[in-house]
Amino acid sequence: MYNILYICFVTNKYLNKMKTNFLFPNYFKKIGWVILIPVLLIDLYSWFGCPMPDLNVTVLSVCIPHGFQFIQNDIADEILTVLTIIATIFAACSKEKIEDEFISKIRLESLLWAVYINYGLLIINTIFFYDTDFLNIMIYNMFTLLLLFLLRFNYVLYKSKNLSA
Amino acid sequence: MKNTIRVERAIKNITQEDLANKIGVSRQTINAMELNKYVPSTVLSLKIARLFGKKVEEIFILEKGD
Repeated sequence: MYNILYICFVTNKYLNKMKTNFLFPNYFKKIGWVILIPVLLIDLYSWFGCPMPDLNVTVLSVCIPHGFQFIQNDIADEILTVLTIIATIFAACSKEKIEDEFISKIRLESLLWAVYINYGLLIINTIFFYDTDFLNIMIYNMFTLLLLFLLRFNYVLYKSKNLSA
Repeated sequence: MKNTIRVERAIKNITQEDLANKIGVSRQTINAMELNKYVPSTVLSLKIARLFGKKVEEIFILEKGD
């Protein structure tokens, strides 16, 4: 127990010394966008009901009342979901070329803004949409928080670069 | 809070980009400060004052309501 506390203490001290801000290095941003744009296009393509390649394989599934079992499943949507999440995280949570205090402020503000808008949309979804529509929108909701953040953050960055007195 | 960064920059004849590079921040930050849209941290204010060779109070001025 004390060992764990000691490790936490030392790690924390180390992280403080590094002035960590929990962001990925700048080049992850490029990787993120390079994956994100094609993946979003494929997402859109599949939302419109266009045919996707059949990737039926046996997967390990955790089924709540029964425990582990092997089932057959088309893993195209799983791959798309994981790729979309990883790509948005990379695009949203990588350092800018020069990550200074003003950029950090915009970053935090945009995150807060995105949380408010996202949950506002979620409330609207809960009140006005039912059954499969509700569930479908909940699926898109997995990605909207970070996508809203990306939109707001990049818009404000762009604006503050070009504003003049 | 007001500041005279734009004036000091004109005296030294350097661009926003030059100033940003010299103190290691982005150009957006310099622009936002000059437009009074961003109040810099103490560290950043001290760096700017040192670069212009003036006291912090000569560059950053409190306004009514601050």
